[in-house]
Amino acid sequence: MSIEVESETDQTWSPKVVAFVCNWCTYTGADLAGTSRLKMDPNVRVIKLPCSSRVNPLFIIKAFERGADGVIVSGCHTGDCHYSTGNYHARRRFAILHDLLHFMGVDENRVTFAWVSASEGNKWQQVVNETTARVAELGPFSEFQGRQSAGAPQ
Amino acid sequence: MTELQELARQLLTEKTVNVVIGYEEGPRGVRPAFITAPEQASSLVFNIHCVQNLAAYLNPRRKQVAQLGKAAIVVKGCDARAVAGMIREQQVERANVVIIALRCGGVLQNPGTASELTAETTSVRCAGCTVRDPKLFDYVLGELPPEPPVNTHRVEQIAALERMTSAERWNFWTAQLSRCVRCHACREACPMCFCVKCTAEKTQPQWIDPSSTPRANRAWQTMRVLHQAGRCVDCLECERACPEHIPLGLLARYVADAVERRFDYAASDDPSVAAPFGAYRPGDEEEFIR
Amino acid sequence: MTHRFLSHQGLASLVAQLLAANTRVIAPVRAKDDPQQIDYQPIHSFEEAAIGVRLPRRSLKEYFLPPTEVLLHYSQTKEGVEIREVSTAAPPQVILGATPCDVASLEVVDKVMGWDYRDELWFGRREATTIVSFLCSLADSTCFCTAVGLGPESFRGSDLLLVPVDGGYLANVVTSRGEALLHGFASEATDAAIAAAESSSRAARQKVDSNLEALPADFGGWLASNFDNPLWKTIALRCHGCGACAAVCPTCHCFDIVDEHDTADSGVRRRNWDSCQTGLFTLHASGHNPRQSQSERFRQRIQHKFSIYPSRFAEILCTGCGRCSRSCPGGMDLPKLLLELVTLSQAKPEVSGQ
Repeated sequence: MSIEVESETDQTWSPKVVAFVCNWCTYTGADLAGTSRLKMDPNVRVIKLPCSSRVNPLFIIKAFERGADGVIVSGCHTGDCHYSTGNYHARRRFAILHDLLHFMGVDENRVTFAWVSASEGNKWQQVVNETTARVAELGPFSEFQGRQSAGAPQ
Repeated sequence: MTELQELARQLLTEKTVNVVIGYEEGPRGVRPAFITAPEQASSLVFNIHCVQNLAAYLNPRRKQVAQLGKAAIVVKGCDARAVAGMIREQQVERANVVIIALRCGGVLQNPGTASELTAETTSVRCAGCTVRDPKLFDYVLGELPPEPPVNTHRVEQIAALERMTSAERWNFWTAQLSRCVRCHACREACPMCFCVKCTAEKTQPQWIDPSSTPRANRAWQTMRVLHQAGRCVDCLECERACPEHIPLGLLARYVADAVERRFDYAASDDPSVAAPFGAYRPGDEEEFIR
Repeated sequence: MTHRFLSHQGLASLVAQLLAANTRVIAPVRAKDDPQQIDYQPIHSFEEAAIGVRLPRRSLKEYFLPPTEVLLHYSQTKEGVEIREVSTAAPPQVILGATPCDVASLEVVDKVMGWDYRDELWFGRREATTIVSFLCSLADSTCFCTAVGLGPESFRGSDLLLVPVDGGYLANVVTSRGEALLHGFASEATDAAIAAAESSSRAARQKVDSNLEALPADFGGWLASNFDNPLWKTIALRCHGCGACAAVCPTCHCFDIVDEHDTADSGVRRRNWDSCQTGLFTLHASGHNPRQSQSERFRQRIQHKFSIYPSRFAEILCTGCGRCSRSCPGGMDLPKLLLELVTLSQAKPEVSGQ
């Protein structure tokens, strides 16, 4: 069951959500959600990274530029990082990124940060479904992809 | 001669330094001075028009300045934080620079357009200044002036932006950034932007398009401000350098406030204080994380 | 050159007719972000124009060479690579109320744009544009158009130069295009109007003259033979290499070409403004950079504008607008710098003995 929305051009539009997840916790949790046959919206494209601290804010910006309507960033709970302290550093970085995106007008509902552990298949299902629903409500993030030439000022 | 001029003359005569980087009167108002001879020291000034943060000239990759030899630099307390940042990040060795700090009662927002500090003319970055009596110095000069008048213009602008909806803020920044021609003057003028190869110039792959398009301009400014988080000293050189008058100071201040609020850290003039992104606290806020 | 008289009402009607015919009209207007500043922008009514208030922040350059523009679209299919070039035809437009320094710059840059390869994007726009300039009475201490062979009354590059007089404007009709634009809106110019215009022109010129004397004829030659002069090592210490000067300069025209993809197999090729003041401008793929420090890069700026371009095209690559100096965050001042260099170039060698 995928979420589809009638868009302005009358074609059904389906939100594209990109998820940057850490290999050790969230990816395993997502796997568990899958093997448990939990129903999840198929709109999420998963990108596996060794650790949440590998996430460069540029990944999120680039994802939006290239067609993502929403982004999920997820890793281990603090204290459980496979590399001990990766997610502590990531947390600081994400905090400022979150605040700055908000200040520059990116709706908070388009970016979800989460800690999902290897045993939290249910939580992953919720993160995926809730994010997809919120993004569906907001519509395509075409403004971010807008690339018309600056040219001479209009 | 003033205290500053006398000190400069002495440092040069005794060959303690080869150049004193300070301020002088130029044809268009106060401008940076590079004094290499003792008799030139009398051109040094320090007044409310001395807005520019001179720390950028200490970047060792500015060969034309580095080749002059060991430098002394005139700083206000706020500028000293940039020098501290460069020391902290090992761009400058503490022993290789003589820091002449001037006690400061504030500078103008637009030098040359007013003759005294008022709530309208004072630089927005002087509001809440805690370093009028600088702490990082080899020499500290001048009497401590009274606190500067507070210019609340920027605080009001940020508050107004925060009251807007997401979509209104998006439109505001898209409009402001539409003037960006990607000259990168903001980066070149910034004392803390000293990367030999900027992330925007990496081409394999090209993370940030170099073109002046709405999405690339937004990506560029977002990343530059993020790379400055916890390092930016709010000297507003970026805003001053921007030939399109984009209010970059709003972004700088907003992120600096977020860093202070979340991590209890403000750019420090003590090089031994660790910057926030090399460190963490187990109790850091995570209200935004599901 | 013929003279005509255009009343205030006549100009308003002329502009209204252009707008009614959907011709793009670009004029100085108050900037949206700061009403104290002026920008060249398309107008939708004559009342929006704010002519003779202040020198616009940006030059006219971007209407002929935009900060970024698409050159071609490419896409890769099973059959090969498909390329679609953009059209070089431009819709007709009129520039109204430009300053002589901004207008002259276009003719100066025409030389390189038509040199070994004709830049059809540039000339497409040039040929589609009619230019109405105004006598400039806005000179401040940073202007020096008269020093580079121009002046606030110069009609170089204009189709029409309007000089404000009682009741309207004395129109200097420079080209047949200008004549055609005026047709039906102008009347005969009286001797009084012509005399008044000449008097205003003289006064405007005096304002600028005192800023910098005309550059000597052999200045370019002196620069060329003083390429290795040690003065270059210290003349630009305060220069950040930020390139703000190049962005606002009407005659700077260097660009970079980049390919940007939209999808894995399609995208565009663009050209973007670039500047010789940046560190990467002359960086070779080998890692060698012939202009290693800002002193070499700044030397290049001066040499190019006042020696190399003139020797190639008999044009100084500068129209004396002063924007570079006004925008410089490091306090560089071009007219004063030129004065320093000219003085140096004219210094008599020391006489030994006696």
